[in-house]
Amino acid sequence: MADNIFFEFLHMEMVDYVYKMDVSREEHEQVKMNAISTLENMGFRVGQGLIERFTKDTPSFKDDLDVMKFLCKDFWVNVFRKQIDNLRTNHQGTYVLQDSKFSLLTQFSNRKQYLLEAPRYLAYTCGMVRGALSNLGVDSIVTAEVSLMPACKFQVVIQRS
Amino acid sequence: MSRQASRASESKKMNSELFTLTYGALVTQLCKDYENDEEVNKQLDKMGYNIGVRLIEDFLARSSVGRCHDFRETADVIAKVAFKMYLGITPSVTNWSPAGDEFSLILESNPLVDFVELPDNHSGLVYSNLLCGVLRGALEMVQMAVDVKFAQDTLRGDNVTEIRMKFIKRIEENLPAGEE
Amino acid sequence: MAVCIAVIAKENYPLYIRSIPAENKLKFHYMVHTSLDVVEEKISTVGKALVDQRELYLGLLYPTEDYKVYGYVTNSKVKFVIVVDSSNTALRDNEIRSMFRKLHNSYTDVMCNPFYNPGDTIQSKSFDTMVSGMMLQAC
Repeated sequence: MADNIFFEFLHMEMVDYVYKMDVSREEHEQVKMNAISTLENMGFRVGQGLIERFTKDTPSFKDDLDVMKFLCKDFWVNVFRKQIDNLRTNHQGTYVLQDSKFSLLTQFSNRKQYLLEAPRYLAYTCGMVRGALSNLGVDSIVTAEVSLMPACKFQVVIQRS
Repeated sequence: MSRQASRASESKKMNSELFTLTYGALVTQLCKDYENDEEVNKQLDKMGYNIGVRLIEDFLARSSVGRCHDFRETADVIAKVAFKMYLGITPSVTNWSPAGDEFSLILESNPLVDFVELPDNHSGLVYSNLLCGVLRGALEMVQMAVDVKFAQDTLRGDNVTEIRMKFIKRIEENLPAGEE
Repeated sequence: MAVCIAVIAKENYPLYIRSIPAENKLKFHYMVHTSLDVVEEKISTVGKALVDQRELYLGLLYPTEDYKVYGYVTNSKVKFVIVVDSSNTALRDNEIRSMFRKLHNSYTDVMCNPFYNPGDTIQSKSFDTMVSGMMLQAC
């Protein structure tokens, strides 16, 4: 079992790499979007694989809420060694997941620079969540925000076709 | 079905599947960005180096391992402490050169390659090359210049995975004048 | 044991089909295709009649004169179909279940291969080996 810090460094290096790759582009705003979506797509594929493994022995899910609860408990525990601390929903397809000590943010202090850069360190995880849900038949848009390290909120908006 | 959170150890153990799959996502992204396997191998080494120079600090802080007196001791520490701590495996140290400046690490298993099957069009890819960079970067921070490469790889059909490490030279620390 | 093994994507196209002997290939493809209708029926019935039956194993889908067709659906809505020879009466339910377990485990491994794109046909040596093991019968 690998140590978390090795993974954290791997993740940070991965983020740096993706941003460096896009630095040749002209518009700065364009750069940010592409790097974020590259990281998000990487996470998406990983989320699909992870959820396939984690749901190998589980019975099928009743509904979206059932899926979200699984995400907050079993999935988060398996992946981040803890549960989501708080799940809220408006019962109309929007869910907010709060993690008070997000595993991938422990290396960052609350300096303004890091807070501004936080989205790039959350993109991969957002993709993972979206990929996991997608493989269970739930299409969504996943975003995240940090107001105080290392706590963060993930917002899942379920898309109805 | 859901795993118990590990309460046993102080250090935060992570989900090895997340690690494995994330590494896989990185390698495949590199394959998309670069035309050939050689370039990907180089990038993996570079990224590993960047990780190694930071990981060594964590290692020295947490392992309470003292200064190594010779390369043999270094080899043992790498295999028995470092690999165990960061990858959860203990490779064996073998094939010492007569001069004592070169040895092999034989990995029975490699968590980076779980579930991986190399497609035919990537026969030149050294999938786990990140590890070579990590070792190189970490040792450089403790004044050792080494050459690290994969000699055998189960992903490419070999029976075992073998990392070959060669001591190049000691890197002089910048000491103030007057000290030895 | 099995004469045909298929993995079907949630969009109902085959990700993998293998059958023996070779000349019956078309017949088995057709059989698998037909069985998908039964699978759809079974997984939608779950919602209505058998509320607590949320098992992945679907059991016998339908018997023909010569064959028995079994089904299984994963949580990602990927379907596995196993066709066995009817004359093979020794094959019991729990043996079929264990074959599906093996299939599921190998499929999960394929999903975790970073070089595999979900939705592509499965081209994995270890998956092939696992399937071969279930199809070859010691005479």
